Amino acid sequence: MAARPRAAPGRRAGGLSELTPTVADHLGDAPFGIAGTSGTPPSILARDFGWTYRGRTRPALAGLSFDVPPGHVLLVIGPSGSGKSTLARALAGLVPHELPGSWCGFLRVGDLDVAATPARVVSGRTGIVFQEPESQLVMPRVEDEVAFGLENRGWGRLAMKARVPEALELVGLAGFETRATAALSGGEQQRLAIADVLAPMPGLLVLDEPTANLDPPGMDGVFERLTGIASARARTLVIIEHRLDAALPLADLVLLLDAGGRQLAFGPPGEVCRAHAEELARLGSWVPRAWQAWTAGEPPVLKPEPAQPPAARAVLVADSVTVRYPTAAEGGDRVALAAVSLVLNAGERVALVGPNGSGKSTLLFALGGLRRPSSGTVRVAERGGPPDRDPARLPGRSLAHVLGLVFQNPELGFVESTCAGEVAASLPVLGRPADASDPDVVRALRDFGLEALAGEDPFRLSEGEQRRLGIAAASVIGPSILLVDEPTFALDRRGAEAVVAQLDRLRTGGQAQLLATHDPRLIPACDRVVALDRGRAIFDGTAAEFLAHPPFRPAGPWRG
Amino acid sequence: MSFLPAPLEPIRPALLTRVAPVTRLVVGIAWLGVAVVAAGPAVPMVLAVAGVGSLVLLSGLPLQRVPGRLAPLGLAALGLGLLTVLVNPANGDPAARVAMAAGPLRVTETALWAGATIALRLAVIALVSLLAFATSDPTRLADSLVQQWRVPYRFAYGTLAALRIVPLLAADWTAIGTVRRLRGIEPRGVLGRVGAFGRRLMVLLVSAVRRAERMALAMDARGFDGDQPRGVFRPVSLGWLDAAVLAAGLAIAMAALAVGMR
Repeated sequence: MAARPRAAPGRRAGGLSELTPTVADHLGDAPFGIAGTSGTPPSILARDFGWTYRGRTRPALAGLSFDVPPGHVLLVIGPSGSGKSTLARALAGLVPHELPGSWCGFLRVGDLDVAATPARVVSGRTGIVFQEPESQLVMPRVEDEVAFGLENRGWGRLAMKARVPEALELVGLAGFETRATAALSGGEQQRLAIADVLAPMPGLLVLDEPTANLDPPGMDGVFERLTGIASARARTLVIIEHRLDAALPLADLVLLLDAGGRQLAFGPPGEVCRAHAEELARLGSWVPRAWQAWTAGEPPVLKPEPAQPPAARAVLVADSVTVRYPTAAEGGDRVALAAVSLVLNAGERVALVGPNGSGKSTLLFALGGLRRPSSGTVRVAERGGPPDRDPARLPGRSLAHVLGLVFQNPELGFVESTCAGEVAASLPVLGRPADASDPDVVRALRDFGLEALAGEDPFRLSEGEQRRLGIAAASVIGPSILLVDEPTFALDRRGAEAVVAQLDRLRTGGQAQLLATHDPRLIPACDRVVALDRGRAIFDGTAAEFLAHPPFRPAGPWRG
Repeated sequence: MSFLPAPLEPIRPALLTRVAPVTRLVVGIAWLGVAVVAAGPAVPMVLAVAGVGSLVLLSGLPLQRVPGRLAPLGLAALGLGLLTVLVNPANGDPAARVAMAAGPLRVTETALWAGATIALRLAVIALVSLLAFATSDPTRLADSLVQQWRVPYRFAYGTLAALRIVPLLAADWTAIGTVRRLRGIEPRGVLGRVGAFGRRLMVLLVSAVRRAERMALAMDARGFDGDQPRGVFRPVSLGWLDAAVLAAGLAIAMAALAVGMR
């Protein structure tokens, strides 16, 4: 069963004619044999299906009625909080059997009534892949990881020995059997997670935002494999995905949900897009380029403030920063950053891009004085002075004036039990009491669209809200340099626009911003782009130059 | 980014890496039992020598990294040993034979033997844990426990999954501290510091529970909660080598006891 490489990216970049439901049919022979499944793939049938989690008054899903024929690809679209993941869990039998709540209506996968069938039986038919690779991989070694699901289902040893390499080959990880799962890149880990669920040959494959945590190359790899799996027509696929540019070409059918978990539309992609472009825009969903031709809507680029001529006053100078991490057995080390030099000017926004593991976070840590470089120097300017201070030696409060850093997981930074308190916790740095009713706190909450949540516990917010809260808390201090790891991650279009608008306001005040990001929407909103690859700076130039000649791949999703 | 020390693992195949983990566990437990129960330093002495010998010849571990790994326990052994020697009721016994005396310090032979016993026992514990656990990866240990000792697989492989989360939590802990420093949040006074530590721990706990929940859901979705018989991908068999290691290990324990009896 040879998996031939396919020119999948070309397909995604293709024109409108390829976005029809039958697209997979004329792409030539299936790359994988039917051997990959047990029998016919199941259909999905929902009739007025709904679900309410225990302790919630509002249903997570309500009134879903749709049919997916065997072997078809269903794309589920909706804003955050629309119950997409709940639908995925129901298709895998986790709802209602592993999570408490109340069920209504009818949902069938093949000939199984999900509500009346034990989870074990449903999960035997359905493979589900979650967002985060790191919290779904169980075993330390790759082949053990793939075998884990087979062992659980009582496969014989010889059958497992034969199936594990097959499943790895399906996702392009042939030969990875004895590698350590922790040492794989994010994209490889997510492909491994797909191999895990493909191994027991489920008829239905459910992917819950499988590329949300991946960099563009990792995301490409996953979609390339999904294209192959979809065109083989040997499995029914349900894909939940924000990045519609990549996912839409795969879909035969689209299910559109609204913020209340109700079904807004169901049908072939072209039809749904034509009929519901306005709702989509109102929902704040990210409208991909491919839709413009249908909807003649606004071009979906985050509108940047007209970039001011950056004042050539350097506020941060990094000179040949090298960071080595000691590694395991041989007492050797790994170079995470190799002689990276970087200058940030006041009022300048720089995007820091590069694949997972290219050293972006390490650079942010080094610039923030949190990790001492093995060699090289980092200097920052204090109170409009020359850039001659070592951030690692600045006392806490002075440092907070100079540098703000928002982590990828904002939850880790939370210190208070309400959102207002959380923002107010930044005030003592300015020499003011941490008063939640301070006008600056109220304004920051309003600016980031969080005023309705002022009294909520930060830990109960959605991921996108937590991200906005994290940036809001940092913005109150207004440090002269702001470092943000993935500012628009997990944000839909409206949330991303709100964040960029606030970053614009801070930049107008002379703040220098360095944004580590995988989000191509953000690039045009930046003055400069610095690209890292395996710890080296391989590009430092204007955003326009970067978009014209992306250093990673000619037709990659950076062009968005 | 790794904030935890790299695991100490075998770098070449060796006798001990080839036997089943449960075999090493049985021998290890026997050695520990004998070392702790027997009076006097002779028994743990013999076992410590045998342990160092096995470590050098049979473990396949990178020897240059062993001292670093054993240093904390080694220091503890020395410290406890010294403490036992110096602060010992026997030192005040006028009838006891004096081994050393310097000024007011009077160390009896009884105290010296007691200190040596304590230190050597701790050394045996450290060596045995290294020989029993570091010589195979955790996966093989879990496999062996499930297959040979019928340990419930939910427990064994659930622990394995939890082990994967530990380095992530270590990274979280560091991140929580650094975010706070960058936000200029500096607790004042002892109470403030204790409170800040508690809140930091709380955030870590929230993060740990989230990760564990997601992991559990992913595992259940892959059939981990099933009650059907589980397949075996990595059989761990017991062979003549295990019998030999078991016999040799128990023989060493008996020999140590015999030496101690004299």
